Amino acid sequence: MTTTHPFEAEAERNGELNAVGTSAVRIDGIDKISGAAQFVDDLDFGPGLLHGAVVESPHAYARIVSIDTSKAEDAPGVVKVVTGQDFPYNFGMYMGDRYIFAQGHVRFVGEQVAGVIARTHRQAVQAAKLVEVEYEVLEALLDPKEAVADGAPLIHPDLGEYSHVPWFFPKAGTNIAHWRKIRKGDTERAFAEADYVLADTYRVPRYAHCAIEPHVTVGKLDHAGRLTVWTASQSPHTQRHLFAEALAPLGFSHKDVRVITPYVGGGFGGKAGVTMEVIGAAMATAVKGHPVKLRFTREQEFYNTYQRQGVVAELKVGVMNDGTITAVEHTLYWDAGAYVEYGANVVNAAGLSATGPYRVPNIRNDSLCVYTNLPPGGPYRGFGYSEFHFGLESHLDRVAAAIGMDPVDFRRKNAIVEGDELSYGAHMNPSGLLPAIDETASAIDWGVEEQSDDPNTVIGKGIALFWKAPAMPPNASSASFLKFNEDGSVNVSVSGMELGQGYLTVMAQIAAEVLGLPVEKVRVETPDTDRNPYEWQTVASHVTWSSGLAVERAAVEAREKIFDVIHQVYGYEDDTLYLADEQVKCTTDPDFAKPLRDFVIDGIQTEDGTWRGGPIVASGKFMPEFTNANSDPETGQGGHPNVHYTVGACGMVIEIDTHTGRIFVRKAALAVDAGKAINPDLVRGQITGGLVQGLATVLYEDMRFDEDGRLLNPNFTDYKIPTAFDIPDEMIPIIIEVPQPDGPFGARGVGEHTMIGAAPAIANAVFDALGVRITSMPITQEKVAQAVSASPT
Amino acid sequence: MVIPHDFEYVRPNTLEEATRALADCSGSAQVLAGGTDLVAWLRDDAVHPDLVVDIKAIDGLRDLAVADRTMTVGSLVTFTDLMESSVVAEHAPLLSEAAETVASPGIRNRATVVGNICSAVPSCDAGPVLLAYDAHVHLVGPEGFRSVPIEAWFVGLRQTARREDEIVTHLTMELPTHGGCYVKLMRYGGEDLAQAAVAIVVDDAHDYRIAFGAVAPTPVRAHAVEDAIRGRAPTEDVIAEAVAMVRSEISPINDLRATAEYRAHMCEVMLARGLVAADQRRNGDGPEYRTRLI
Repeated sequence: MTTTHPFEAEAERNGELNAVGTSAVRIDGIDKISGAAQFVDDLDFGPGLLHGAVVESPHAYARIVSIDTSKAEDAPGVVKVVTGQDFPYNFGMYMGDRYIFAQGHVRFVGEQVAGVIARTHRQAVQAAKLVEVEYEVLEALLDPKEAVADGAPLIHPDLGEYSHVPWFFPKAGTNIAHWRKIRKGDTERAFAEADYVLADTYRVPRYAHCAIEPHVTVGKLDHAGRLTVWTASQSPHTQRHLFAEALAPLGFSHKDVRVITPYVGGGFGGKAGVTMEVIGAAMATAVKGHPVKLRFTREQEFYNTYQRQGVVAELKVGVMNDGTITAVEHTLYWDAGAYVEYGANVVNAAGLSATGPYRVPNIRNDSLCVYTNLPPGGPYRGFGYSEFHFGLESHLDRVAAAIGMDPVDFRRKNAIVEGDELSYGAHMNPSGLLPAIDETASAIDWGVEEQSDDPNTVIGKGIALFWKAPAMPPNASSASFLKFNEDGSVNVSVSGMELGQGYLTVMAQIAAEVLGLPVEKVRVETPDTDRNPYEWQTVASHVTWSSGLAVERAAVEAREKIFDVIHQVYGYEDDTLYLADEQVKCTTDPDFAKPLRDFVIDGIQTEDGTWRGGPIVASGKFMPEFTNANSDPETGQGGHPNVHYTVGACGMVIEIDTHTGRIFVRKAALAVDAGKAINPDLVRGQITGGLVQGLATVLYEDMRFDEDGRLLNPNFTDYKIPTAFDIPDEMIPIIIEVPQPDGPFGARGVGEHTMIGAAPAIANAVFDALGVRITSMPITQEKVAQAVSASPT
Repeated sequence: MVIPHDFEYVRPNTLEEATRALADCSGSAQVLAGGTDLVAWLRDDAVHPDLVVDIKAIDGLRDLAVADRTMTVGSLVTFTDLMESSVVAEHAPLLSEAAETVASPGIRNRATVVGNICSAVPSCDAGPVLLAYDAHVHLVGPEGFRSVPIEAWFVGLRQTARREDEIVTHLTMELPTHGGCYVKLMRYGGEDLAQAAVAIVVDDAHDYRIAFGAVAPTPVRAHAVEDAIRGRAPTEDVIAEAVAMVRSEISPINDLRATAEYRAHMCEVMLARGLVAADQRRNGDGPEYRTRLI
């Protein structure tokens, strides 16, 4: 086990590796700084391009009485107006509860009721205002606790008829779309026997992803019946699959649907699965021969893509006086919104892991996916873990304080380690949680009390642990193609997405490592589902691991083919051959060095003048073959739903102006166990970016709805994300490397994890500074000021 | 971006043509300078003018100068102009202190000070500062030129003394020797609309002018506070006396951005800190202008 610190000489600890473990310059960098990188809205579709606009529901819940499109159809430039009647199909990622356009009912403010296709964007927007929709307004449910109450109106009366994945347990006749239960041990007895028990409720609101690039899609159905969709997406193959499924009644098969995804301006989960893209794809089918562009405004970006779900978390923890956690009961009421086809899996993931990274013998988790008449919830960096860690890690600080134990010692004592039993019965993977705790505590001088010279300022420190597993179907897969070029350079085809995280670079590093090439000789580009092999999605922090394994396997296959040619021509045994410096070398013959460029396309000429070899091409795939989601619905026991967990710790040092309530983050440290940092700089980028995004959710961001379910702040005027003025004075990224045995070079994902710890660490630091516990997010300056004035001190 | 509403657009070269265009317009008209409010309202379909009169081609509206201890700020002067002007830094530093808190650089490059007080939202940053400077607003209309003292300018929520056929030409301010500050409550370090703000000017006789923003339908002068502490240095007792009067000078509301209680509380905090800083600046030993006091 090793740990590294920023800017430590990487070569030294990297042993024999040449490409992996180095902070290779990102291969998309030149594209992006030169402007060569193209995003969907940059693509030119010529003068035949049509534009779409969406007619939106003004009501949170209503029955559609009638839709009159005649005035819109007569408006200048309008080519076509489509409604739910044109596409009476439902679809969904994990549950088929979603529609292309509203079918009979609208279930949130902003839901798409009709679409207008016109020659110009302005004409489409103007005509959309002319579509007349008559509604019968119904009672809307905006709160998950109200929606689960007896007698609450049903948002989806047909819930029992929806198709869904086998690991969902919908409760027909209620608003509970999925209920993940974990029952382990005997919590009742454990609470009765515990020395101390604390119960409280924590609230986390909804959040928006706020990627810099709004969702945009261009669909084109050509005259031969080929549907091509260009999307700003994290999930080209999943989109192709969902388009093909949703539009199957129109006669599409998967081979006829093509999704092209150029560079993406940020995803954070918001561009996973399918949201507005299906509207664009469907519109295109209505105007054969013409590409149709649908580009969301910033407002639509807020209210009609996915939102991070809100949650009310009821938490009860029992401990012994020595600090041993004996029982956890965690009930999570998720405000999942109007459609949960993706969000229900957030609920599922949280329910499986709601104990946090601790060894807990007695567990009762209930994670309820509750329909509400708010915009659809969905994936967001952290996938449920950010939400429940806020309450959990706040709560554990309180428990530690109550039994007189230092919060770091308390966490250390209960921290999960390799082999410990997980809540669903499987066992914990190797993990560097303990060194992560120690290094984080050390980075913020834990235990050293600091005081400000300013009488209006108090200083506090807080710490929080985190864990997260990729939340995926048990058979989510990755694949790659690899081909050599004449000069010994390589093109690698994959279908993960470069979202700014550095995925393409990491894939290039893995291929380069196996093939003995400099990273610059490997090109990896954004995908086209016609050309590139399958990837489930770029989500779950899994592509470094899963797609990385597929690339590693393709490179190994290519290497084997190379050795085979050499063996055929020169007779060296494969196990004596190796690749280095763009050459094939031999351990038994130091004089042998065959440059790859000499033969990877044209082969090698033998003594008789004939040739051996030919173009070196290879493929690789990876599917986790050890997972299954077949757990008991009542106990959650029996399956192996998660491939592994990535763990870490986050620490904060803050100053609070006690008059204004303003929090200044002086130091933010975060240690994450990357298994193997394939590109340490990119890992540090994830850590700093994750910290800032996590801080944003705890300090500033807050979706606010009025009593009619209308989002009040779908804009950056009133939905605040940090600027350069708002980042911590100092950020300390700490990379822990306890290898993941099945990972490429030992790597596991870190992308989402880096934002999970910030919120509870701030809550704990606020408590440390003021002695006041704030149990709801965000912890705004106003809330802190209120807490100060309410506090006895 | 789509502006769904159709309107006529004119870009006159003289004030006379501009005022005539406004007078001749049978429907509603909007004056366009920086457009940072107007264009957003048009995009949101929140205003439906029949005519937009762009005044950017009119000469003489860009003055930013001091003569005879009077500062003139033309109606096309932007917030960036204020921040970059040495004249403003020397004679009216609260203008640049406030300008720096307005939106973002891109917006400040276009947004005008006069446009800010013509939109007259309660949180307009120029409002409290101009109140504290006792500015005058100069207009031209069909009946010629007139001027309005800034205190008579803000007549209600988003309402000003400007008649529909008038154009603001410039602002003037008599310049006292003074110290001062503009303190603004924002939700974070980035660009934000004021949830509450205070502008304070103090001269060597400890004559104060104090105005609050975003805590009433219009920016408001706090005359009662000024009268109560006139002639006295901001000692702890004086500050306590001033702070105790704050809540009777303002009428903050609860909204998405802040509660009325927090706004009131922060007006007290900002006044207390602002009085000290303003007096220190008057004395030449305060925090530099444009440093945040909260």
